[in-house]
Amino acid sequence: MHTLHIISKSPGHTRFRECLGMMGEQDAILLTGNAVTALADSTITLPETVYALQEDLRARAIDPEQDISGQVTFDDMVSLTIQAQRVISW
Amino acid sequence: MPADNHTFTLVITGAPYSSQAPETALGFAQAALRAGHTIDRVFLYGDGVHLASSLPSPPSDEINWTRAWSDFLQEHSVPAVACIASALRRGLVNESEQRRYQLPASNLATPFEIAGLGEWVESTIKSSAQSSRVIYFHGGA
Amino acid sequence: MHTLIVIDQPPYGSWGGRESLDMAFSLAAFDQPVSLLFIDAGVLWLKQGQEPGGINQKSVERNLAAASIFGVESLLADTAACHRFGLNEDNLINGVTRIDNTGATLQQYQHVAFSG
Repeated sequence: MHTLHIISKSPGHTRFRECLGMMGEQDAILLTGNAVTALADSTITLPETVYALQEDLRARAIDPEQDISGQVTFDDMVSLTIQAQRVISW
Repeated sequence: MPADNHTFTLVITGAPYSSQAPETALGFAQAALRAGHTIDRVFLYGDGVHLASSLPSPPSDEINWTRAWSDFLQEHSVPAVACIASALRRGLVNESEQRRYQLPASNLATPFEIAGLGEWVESTIKSSAQSSRVIYFHGGA
Repeated sequence: MHTLIVIDQPPYGSWGGRESLDMAFSLAAFDQPVSLLFIDAGVLWLKQGQEPGGINQKSVERNLAAASIFGVESLLADTAACHRFGLNEDNLINGVTRIDNTGATLQQYQHVAFSG
């Protein structure tokens, strides 16, 4: 993984669109807070490597139908930020 | 201390009760320490400075984010700094700023401190080392 | 390590952009390499002729025009966003570099940050 993009904005926020548009091929995205609603939104197409914070999904009763790379805990989130060469929070 | 010990600086820019940023950041901070990493500093910027106010009084069945963070910071001796420019604009002051601006009260919760952006700059300089990271926690909107 | 501060919100309606500038100028004050990137409606910070006195705010146009003097290495603006908001060489402030592939530009910086 080159860059881990952490996004907390709702899919409707312009920054969500900007983030998806600027991702590199070896990048991964981690959805936190409002951003996890992207997994309940049938109009949003997400890139290949998507992680989402488990408790944010559970809180919102979102069970991702599409295969995502993983529902992650905060322990996993810490590991992801270390594995990435760079982290950008959107 | 594990061989792959990393140092994190956490920057919180989302306010409690209008965003989830303080919650996400606290979950991350607890996990980082559990894994044996170090948090050298928590920096509050923009609306994030509201986390350092001692005044919010949520209903008793809701979490008090200032207290939750304050307990964490004191238990693990992690320094936390609110940006002075962000803080003064938003009415967050310690006793010395209260005196300087002749304000009727101060409201900075323990153990938070008020300082300039230089603290953040210092963290970004350190983060050029491979084992160091600055992670930002923004609001949701 | 070169930092890129990104501004994606238009001026005056919120304080985020102002606080982004503070971040950039602070890094520059400590002799740290820093550039500013304007995307989306954030490019409106770069338009000539801003007069926010009537809404009781200070113009940042002069601060931005003097960014290089303060040590900010470059003011970058997304070309597509400039086009969308009708910004061109006639109405952009001096010293702005327009970039076509913003994603590729983003890849070049080790530290990329928003103010909020």
